[in-house]
Amino acid sequence: MITVEENMTESISKEEKALLVKGYTAMVLARTLDKKLVSAQRQGRIGFYTPMMGQEASQVGLSMALLPEDFVYGYYRDIGLLIYRGGSIEALLNQTMGNSADSARGRQMPSHLMDKSVNFFTVPSMVGANLTLAVGTAYAYKMRKRKGIVAATFGDGATSTPDFHASMNFASVYDVPVLFFCENNQWAISYPVEKQSKTDISEKARAYGIRGLKVDGNNLVDVYRTTRQAVESIRAGEGPILINAVSYRMGPHSTSDDPSKYRKDEISEGSDRDPLVVTEKLLISMKVMDEHLPQAIKSQAEKIVDSKFEESEKIPPASPEETFTDVYAEDSWMLQEERGDLL
Amino acid sequence: MTMIKSINQALDLIMSDDPDAIILGEDIGINGGVFRATDGLYKKYGADRVIDTPLAEIGIVGMAIGMSVAGLHPIPEIQFQDFIYTAMDLIINQMAKIRFRSASQFSCPLVLRTPYGGGIKGGLYHSQSGESYFAHTAGLTVVTPSSPSDAKGLLISSTRSPDPVIFLEPKRLYRSIKEDVPDGVYEIPLRKAALKHQGDDITIVTYGSMVPVVIDTVERNNVNADVIDLRTLMPYDKDTILESVRKTGRVIIVHEAPRTLGMGAEISAMISERAIEYLYSPILRVTGLDAPFPYRNEEFYLPNEKRIMRAVKRAMEGV
Repeated sequence: MITVEENMTESISKEEKALLVKGYTAMVLARTLDKKLVSAQRQGRIGFYTPMMGQEASQVGLSMALLPEDFVYGYYRDIGLLIYRGGSIEALLNQTMGNSADSARGRQMPSHLMDKSVNFFTVPSMVGANLTLAVGTAYAYKMRKRKGIVAATFGDGATSTPDFHASMNFASVYDVPVLFFCENNQWAISYPVEKQSKTDISEKARAYGIRGLKVDGNNLVDVYRTTRQAVESIRAGEGPILINAVSYRMGPHSTSDDPSKYRKDEISEGSDRDPLVVTEKLLISMKVMDEHLPQAIKSQAEKIVDSKFEESEKIPPASPEETFTDVYAEDSWMLQEERGDLL
Repeated sequence: MTMIKSINQALDLIMSDDPDAIILGEDIGINGGVFRATDGLYKKYGADRVIDTPLAEIGIVGMAIGMSVAGLHPIPEIQFQDFIYTAMDLIINQMAKIRFRSASQFSCPLVLRTPYGGGIKGGLYHSQSGESYFAHTAGLTVVTPSSPSDAKGLLISSTRSPDPVIFLEPKRLYRSIKEDVPDGVYEIPLRKAALKHQGDDITIVTYGSMVPVVIDTVERNNVNADVIDLRTLMPYDKDTILESVRKTGRVIIVHEAPRTLGMGAEISAMISERAIEYLYSPILRVTGLDAPFPYRNEEFYLPNEKRIMRAVKRAMEGV
């Protein structure tokens, strides 16, 4: 694992300091929102949620390394990635509620994110199903000489899917500008990564003739710096890269899951391996922020999340009319008839 | 001109008119495709736009979806429809649902071409008619031509559709029939059936490779039949069917795919719901068997003149 902690205090620029504080703020916002959504589900205020606690540094570090023109095929835990990228909390909450302000019109379960305004593609439930799409989009970017690269995120479980294999192979064969970013939280529901794969995930890249890197996914600076270098290399046309960002899923797979059935939690909130604690200590030691700043950022985040949640909750649910539109650009007669029967 | 030539000509016209059009699939480039549908296009349009792919249907379909999301107009080929199933997740869960789940902020117009059906001694895995799998999925448009000129016009229309089209090519007809095909670009509308033979006694609804079989049968036996070629299987054209059924009062549906839950089941149910009072006899289906497609006995499996005429007689007798 690459460790950057020792040699980075000296060389840090003003711009990078500001960037890291922005990154830390996004991590706190993501954590706050994550906890809010878990408790809202427990209170029956939302139907379902897939927590991301533990993956804040991985997601935000990746997001910091990307540019607005890049295109992201994310997965269902990526609220940290999306928040740093500029996706609005309102849009995210409206999606969660399935209310009438949701830009996807209440059609998808909570956690199935989308924000076209920041080039973030609509997320499916199928693990790994975004990967071959990312390769196709990257092919188009290369062919059209468009600015930007494509980034795809996925969990460690996705590395066992045929989609993973096909996408690594096709990306390599066509040498397209794509970053495969594995948010390795070490658990695919109840199945641990050491059973999922007998090799380190980054090593799989070698078999496809692409580069593989491993980073400490709990360390924002490590994720950001390594990923930025990778992204710059991809941008320069040097081919696809696979990154294995190792973190830990601190919560359940989803609000319907009970991890006590299959594991003892190894990292709990506030412990010294919690990515928020790791990053906080690191940034203070690097003099990127003083020790009072975290508390200020946290209280601010709570205020934002609480008020936006309440606002979003007041918006009425998506109308049943939304069930009949956007199936085709032009409705089929079947749908016209079914709409006539039911509405 | 044969159907394989008319498809080749359509692809050539599409590629030359639209710089965003892109073809990808196994052996479709240098080799021109195992049936030669893409013959000559690699040389004309280059390796960037006529892309030979590694052997993975999910790679072909997934790449095509991702290209379409980015604004290209891909025309992927799956070598045989029988090989498509590993990519069904991408077709059913991604391709068909991107417009719906993004409220039309994203869409993926593309035309997935694939040869289907029996009659070329292909056995279990080069003969299947899987149209029901696709037609059962809202968001997909399913099209199948039955003649060289239809193939060209329907393929051109499909590439202009704002939504993904599964374009099923009856490979048995690739070289078995020839007809004059108009030059240049022309469209045949999707979602519209064609009346391929006119008569007052009976309505025969069919599509794809069964259209010429049905037309031959009614002509040789002087059956006074409306023969309806569906052309688009989803969303299919109910109005043309109902108009004919209200006139004739008798219906036979002919397809190669297995009978149970095939297109015939849907069309029969649709007619029963809307026009049962016009019927003189039960709706009958002449179809492939509810068994895998056999190698040696493929002619036995496929609907033929004898089986169609047996159904015609039964329908005319009203029992």
